[in-house]
Amino acid sequence: MNGTQNMGFAFVVTWLSSSLALAGPVLLAALGETFAEQSGVLNVGIEGTMLLGALASFLASYYTGMIWTSLLFAALVGIFANVFLAWMYITVRASQVVAGLVFNVLALGIADTVYRRAMGNSAAPESIAMFHPVRIPVISNLPLIGPALFGQTILFYLTLLLAIVAHFILFRTSFGLALRASGENPAAADSAGISVYRMRYTGTLISGAAAGMAGGYLVLAQVGLFRESIVSGQGFIALGIVIFGRWNPLKATAAALVFGACDALQLSLQIFGPRVPPQLLLALPYVVTILAISGLFGGKAVQPRALMTPYVRD
Amino acid sequence: MAKLFERRLTPADSPLAIFATTITAFLVAMLVTAFLFLYYGANPFLAYFALCHEPFATLRGFGYSLVRASPLALIALGTIMSWRSGFSYLGFEGCFVIGATGAGWLALLTAPGGRIGPVPLSLFMPLAMLFAFTVGGIWAGLVGVVRARLGGNEVLISLMSNYVAILILQYLVSGPMRAPGSLPETPLLPRTSWLPFILPGTRAHAGILIALAAAGLVWMMLQKMPLGYELIVTGFNPSAARYAGINVRSRLVLAAFFAGGLGGLAGMVEVLGSQHRLMDGISGGVGFVGIVVALLARLNPLAVIPTAILYGGMSVGADAMQRRASIPSSITFILQSLAVLLVLAFDALRYYRINLPYLRRTPPSVNEQVYK
Repeated sequence: MNGTQNMGFAFVVTWLSSSLALAGPVLLAALGETFAEQSGVLNVGIEGTMLLGALASFLASYYTGMIWTSLLFAALVGIFANVFLAWMYITVRASQVVAGLVFNVLALGIADTVYRRAMGNSAAPESIAMFHPVRIPVISNLPLIGPALFGQTILFYLTLLLAIVAHFILFRTSFGLALRASGENPAAADSAGISVYRMRYTGTLISGAAAGMAGGYLVLAQVGLFRESIVSGQGFIALGIVIFGRWNPLKATAAALVFGACDALQLSLQIFGPRVPPQLLLALPYVVTILAISGLFGGKAVQPRALMTPYVRD
Repeated sequence: MAKLFERRLTPADSPLAIFATTITAFLVAMLVTAFLFLYYGANPFLAYFALCHEPFATLRGFGYSLVRASPLALIALGTIMSWRSGFSYLGFEGCFVIGATGAGWLALLTAPGGRIGPVPLSLFMPLAMLFAFTVGGIWAGLVGVVRARLGGNEVLISLMSNYVAILILQYLVSGPMRAPGSLPETPLLPRTSWLPFILPGTRAHAGILIALAAAGLVWMMLQKMPLGYELIVTGFNPSAARYAGINVRSRLVLAAFFAGGLGGLAGMVEVLGSQHRLMDGISGGVGFVGIVVALLARLNPLAVIPTAILYGGMSVGADAMQRRASIPSSITFILQSLAVLLVLAFDALRYYRINLPYLRRTPPSVNEQVYK
């Protein structure tokens, strides 16, 4: 009896703590994407940006061993890549879905080419400097939730803090208002003296920085090595989380936790659970995201009205 | 006020202008990639020669190019079908996998010990095509229903559905359909279910003929038939279409069904023509490269076949390059996607005209002074 109880306990603890851990990177990417989408740009390119950020932070950490510098480098690479994307979206006015999607293929090519060039033919993955979980004293010893909530890496807490900051900026500052106006009714925003182009560039670059850092988060706090498949759709899931979270950073946090819980359930059940095909559980996060954004639960009304519509100033 | 570059009110849309910007974009992409070759210590001219020699100057390589081109062309045709109808479907990776799974399953049923037993090719092939088309069509059609009935965002839903399809196949080949052995894959499909080879001495199979026929059909449907007209109007302006009495919702679902069906056919062609068994990771990004092919062909069904052969050939050449010169084949990803991005970006150039008289006027030429 005691044995099964301990099993159940251990199951819940690992499930909770890996839920939070897995939610971190996608939440960070989703927070940035919220800015882009609120300004009227659907940045599908964050998938590729995450991959480039992951590679950048891996290489930086491998060569310098400084984790914060690596994270910053990932953010810079993300911004740099998204200058090009923003130019395509806003100035060239190419289809946002097409430009973002093709950019993802480009990023895959660049990441693979650069990684092979940098690592040569050494097949063994190299170990790098990483972020480690910090255990907040006293409260991390709370039963059940203690290790899960207060035993995460510093990046997780920073991401939570960023969610609150993002919410404040979007809904409580004049910059946030101008950004949202550009995504809601760009012509009206322009008449009110807001530079729609500048707002959209800013939104896209913020999403680029966040996606680059999210890639760094994956490498520096979770995986510790680089491979082509490291992102595998997490950028797309971040897009889903933005919709699921109704373009609101705080709701996106909740959405990311739901997603993380599904993803973690699969890991925990593989360790503890009965013989469930792992693919069924692996499909769970994707199915949940599909259901969440299918429109079954509404949500069309709060979408920024000029999302995916390029602005032409007459 | 005269400038060398004058802005036009509407873009120059003559075939020459479009052709010129496309070629310029390609050349710039090749130039950028040339620097990458230099970075790898390879002579760019030799690298490009190697990239083109194997696929287009050797019979064996050309056969492989056709093998790679067939699924790409079918997916590109699916892209054209859906995008021109205003349905931004991105789930071809999933349709490909579902179609391949359906065709592979059907083929295994006709194996000597299978539930149906051997079936002549002339009966099996139409059945397999119909089946792969239908399952792929239903897979994409469901997304169409979600979009038409619930207003969900088809871009993201279709992206997510790719992963679900890939996991379904992974489950099947590592569980119920797995052949005894170490790798997660099915047994070899019976020879009677293979697509016939069409060029002696090569691996080229009848899939390219299916792609050719499909290109013709898609072109005819979109350009010459009332249904195609309705689909395109739906894509251009849904409100106008509704006003003209077109049932926009059903047209959307229909477009999704056709697009997914073509994606499913692509999967069938790959598994019955080239792989001859189902395995995990059979798609490997072909669903996205197919979209890129459609974009480069400017959503024109007739331009799809040469573009697909070019892209298929490039990947064959890249593999040869990786084997011989150890330049990673992923460089072609860069070349291919950069070409499309630059084609999109250079479209902006068509908004400008070069004002040649401006050049002639400064400084005033001797002739002008004489005639004055």
